[in-house]
Amino acid sequence: MATLTMQNVTKIFGRDVIAVKDFNLEVKEKEFLVLLGPSGCGKTTAMRMVAGLEEVTTGEIFIDDREVTELPPRKRNVSMIFQNYAVWPHMTVYDNIAFALKLKKLHKDEIDRRVKETAGMAKIEMLLERYPSQLSGGQQQRVAVARAIAVNPDIFLMDEPLSNLDAKLRVSMRTELKAIHDKAGSTTVFVTHDQSEAMSMADRIVIMKDGEVIQVGSPDDVYHRSGSIFVADFIGTPPTNFMDVKIQKESNGTHLVNTHLNLLLEPEMAKHLNGYDKNHIVLGIRPENIVLVGESDAALSASCLVSEPQGSHQVVAIQLDDNIVKVVAPPNPIIAPGTDVHLIFKQETLRFFDPDTTLAIND
Amino acid sequence: MNKNPIKLGKLVRRTIFYLFIVTLAVSIILPVFFLVSLSFLSTRESYSFPLPLLPSLKTEYSLTHSDRGYLLSVYDKFDKEYQTVLDTAELEKMSVYMKNQIGTPYSIPKIEERIAELENGGKDTIFFSVRKNLLLNYTTFFQITRDAVPALLRSLQIAGLTILISLSIGSMAGYAFARYVFAGRDVLKFSVLFVRMFPGVAIALHMAIILANMGFYDKPIGLALVYSVGSIALTVWITASVFMGIPESLEEAAQVFGATKWQTFLRVTFPLALPGLAAAAMYTFLGAWTETVSAILLTQFNPTFSVVVYQSLLGAVGNVNLTAAGGLVLAIPSLIFTFFIRKYIQQMWGGMTI
Amino acid sequence: MTASTPAKRFRDLGSKAVPYLLIAPVVIYYFFFWFRPVLVTLIKSFQTAAGAFTLQNYHMVLTDPDFLVALRNTAIIVLFSVTLEFLGALFLALLINRKFTGSTFFLFVAMIPMALPGVAVAAMWLTGLTAHGWINSLLYYLGILAEGAKIYWLAGSEWKLLGLIILIDAWQVIPSMMIILLAGLQNIPEETIEAGYVFGGNFITVLRKITMPLLGPTIQTAVILRLISAIQIWLIIVLLVGFSRMPVLVERIVYYYKEVPNLDISLQMASGYAIVVSFIVSMVALLYLKVSGAFGGKKEAAQ
Ligand SMILES: Nc1ncnc2c1ncn2[C@@H]1O[C@H](COP(=O)(O)OP(=O)(O)OP(=O)(O)O)[C@@H](O)[C@H]1O
Ligand SMILES: [Mg+2]
Repeated sequence: MATLTMQNVTKIFGRDVIAVKDFNLEVKEKEFLVLLGPSGCGKTTAMRMVAGLEEVTTGEIFIDDREVTELPPRKRNVSMIFQNYAVWPHMTVYDNIAFALKLKKLHKDEIDRRVKETAGMAKIEMLLERYPSQLSGGQQQRVAVARAIAVNPDIFLMDEPLSNLDAKLRVSMRTELKAIHDKAGSTTVFVTHDQSEAMSMADRIVIMKDGEVIQVGSPDDVYHRSGSIFVADFIGTPPTNFMDVKIQKESNGTHLVNTHLNLLLEPEMAKHLNGYDKNHIVLGIRPENIVLVGESDAALSASCLVSEPQGSHQVVAIQLDDNIVKVVAPPNPIIAPGTDVHLIFKQETLRFFDPDTTLAIND
Repeated sequence: MNKNPIKLGKLVRRTIFYLFIVTLAVSIILPVFFLVSLSFLSTRESYSFPLPLLPSLKTEYSLTHSDRGYLLSVYDKFDKEYQTVLDTAELEKMSVYMKNQIGTPYSIPKIEERIAELENGGKDTIFFSVRKNLLLNYTTFFQITRDAVPALLRSLQIAGLTILISLSIGSMAGYAFARYVFAGRDVLKFSVLFVRMFPGVAIALHMAIILANMGFYDKPIGLALVYSVGSIALTVWITASVFMGIPESLEEAAQVFGATKWQTFLRVTFPLALPGLAAAAMYTFLGAWTETVSAILLTQFNPTFSVVVYQSLLGAVGNVNLTAAGGLVLAIPSLIFTFFIRKYIQQMWGGMTI
Repeated sequence: MTASTPAKRFRDLGSKAVPYLLIAPVVIYYFFFWFRPVLVTLIKSFQTAAGAFTLQNYHMVLTDPDFLVALRNTAIIVLFSVTLEFLGALFLALLINRKFTGSTFFLFVAMIPMALPGVAVAAMWLTGLTAHGWINSLLYYLGILAEGAKIYWLAGSEWKLLGLIILIDAWQVIPSMMIILLAGLQNIPEETIEAGYVFGGNFITVLRKITMPLLGPTIQTAVILRLISAIQIWLIIVLLVGFSRMPVLVERIVYYYKEVPNLDISLQMASGYAIVVSFIVSMVALLYLKVSGAFGGKKEAAQ
């Protein structure tokens, strides 16, 4: 069990493809850290550098206090689950799991014990004599998991290990992977671009964009205290609603105003804008923090564009100028298109963003 | 802190790696380099020892009187002195020698000028230098082997016919192999081995009779038929591999959207296979273009270009540099096609194994 | 389900026939232009000059003093050249598959020998191997050969000549073997190899335990194709040293057909040799396929 530190790591492919840029990260012991970001943002590259499969262009990587930047993969004591599993087709499941143990020259009985133990954890004890071509996708995936935990790695790397599975299996494997992690207690870096996977598994989430770290924090942090418009937009389905608003200080307090809205901020919230000297902000509010109310209480009224029932709730879309605002509402009654809806915002959940830097103002 | 030594180590490792690669590349093409160099050497140079690494661009001459006429000497870079090469009064002989042996064409009037210089200038010896015509071996090769040009065209025609025959016949079978399960599929796969197990020369000799019966003996089509024996089996393999590389789901998608099987093939499969098929065609070209043995056995008055080069090799006691020039002309199309083929190696060979 | 109408049955038959129609041209072609010559040779090998049945031809071939020499020479060449060529080709393929900057150009350079026509190659080595040739010149420039000293490459012991022929053959043949191996290597997903490194393998262990087993069928293919043509080596030998100096099996066929075509026994000897050669080739091929496990014992791993 170990910590992983990446210091100012940059990776440039060829002359000018900057895949990872000045990446700084510390993964704590036994932590389950998730790298989350849109496709092509450099997650795989970052992970491959930790594994030693990709040379870093500049920067250093440490496992505990040991600098591993220049070490070949085999000297790093990491293990990895590849996106396409990469189980060896010419070896039985048993041999796949035992491969690394044999290379460590462990005693035969010890190898046997470890193979069986990890196969048990991954629930593939009965498949040990089979070849990968005789396994289903989910089973191959378990082989990859078993192979990775058998070596007792310092760092456990997983590159979208669940992305090839069907939706249901994916969710159940999530739970199992997490359980295996808790049992084995290894420090884990998990790559995904599926945010619900990230939210449900991570101790901390690292949000990446264009090779850079945008925000690091607990799932709660990145969801409720998104540090930038990008994060607020990237996390959550449906994503945060954004509105351009003007700040108007009047005698009764601070108002946020645009053509549809005139919102009197509670003093608690208005405080956040004290140090702010521009008169425009981007207001962010999550769909579930907008509440349908009677006409008299409304801060905002508009007509419903469409409503998508989701079983436990419905997502109501409202057109405001060019913007579509989405609202999570109780499932009944279903709101028909064209109906007027009246809304208020849960003030304590509002996020204010600087329109120029796109960073959050209230932290 | 210790960043620099690490980077330095990387640099050193990389340098060593590339040095190794360069050494390897050089040792692979070293023989070819000498062949190329030889093709630009004059006859005199090509029989000197050690052979010059690079052809000279001009030759330094000296001219002086002799009992019989004039002494023509050539500066030898290796011995660092002039060596007499000719003692004659005949200017034509001198001109021919300068062209054929030294590779420096020099007209008789020009020689007369030099002689006038020698006679009137009051000098014992005069020195002059003449630029070498580097392409002389190439032009000479085509002049003295009168067959060369028609043979070149014939070779092209044969290669074209071979491509046509083996690609049309072979790619049909290749497609069947890639897409259908049928009895004899394995036999087809092993046919590439079978046809090679029987010595090609023996086949070629019996083909002489068969071709004569068909009226194809000593005709381009005859050789193309012989070459196709070897290349069809290979084409089956290569095209099967190419077609296997095209996911069947793409064809199915086209059929779902209303294409007939034939349309699917023309609009989807064929365009996707085209680069691979082109590579297969080039591969066939290499075989047909460079083949010599069957061509020697099965041609009489209409040799292929490789036969012409072969004959010059046999007769070339005095003219290895000409043979080298001919050999290189023969090699150029193959080299060009190889340059293209290298991108399709995986498509061509990736799909099939015994 | 409707009962199958005649029209439908006809269509079914039609679609079943498609693959056979597609391979029919190949079959016909090989019947005419391969099988017939082979059959004629086979028949001739059992006939006297007058056309009567005899086993005499084989007796003559097998007791021909040159036969054993040719067999021995061929065996030595095959053994060493196939081994050397395989190792060289594998080495080059692994190197090129590392995809370093410039590797595609290096691939082209490595493929050059296979693009060169046999005659050009012969010219190249002939001009190299003579006493005044470029090899001696090069050695002289490198200071290895003293002034006035010459190495007579093509003279002297048979073993030296065999060694030279093996090297020259390797030079020309390695590329065609290399491209097959390279294609096989490129078919192995990169992550499969990388997983080997992550789980503790060094270059050698990954090569031995992962790359080579996965490359197995490709290696078989490359080696069997090479084996078959290596046994039939002759042209480069004849071009370098002429007939009869270094007899090999196929050289004997050509010798009887082309060099001494007018002897009473020429045709019989040539046919006999041709059949003996094909027999040897097919036996060796069969043996190799058997030993390397191409039949039957296929691992279930094959996907
Ligand atoms: N070998 C390479 N050569 C050049 N560019 C590369 C290479 N590998 C990755 N890249 C580029 O680096 C960037 C990051 O790639 P990476 O594979 O790390 O993205 P990712 O975040 O894993 O994406 P995904 O979610 O789609 O897997 C991309 O723009 C990609 O095009
Ligand atoms: Mg990725």
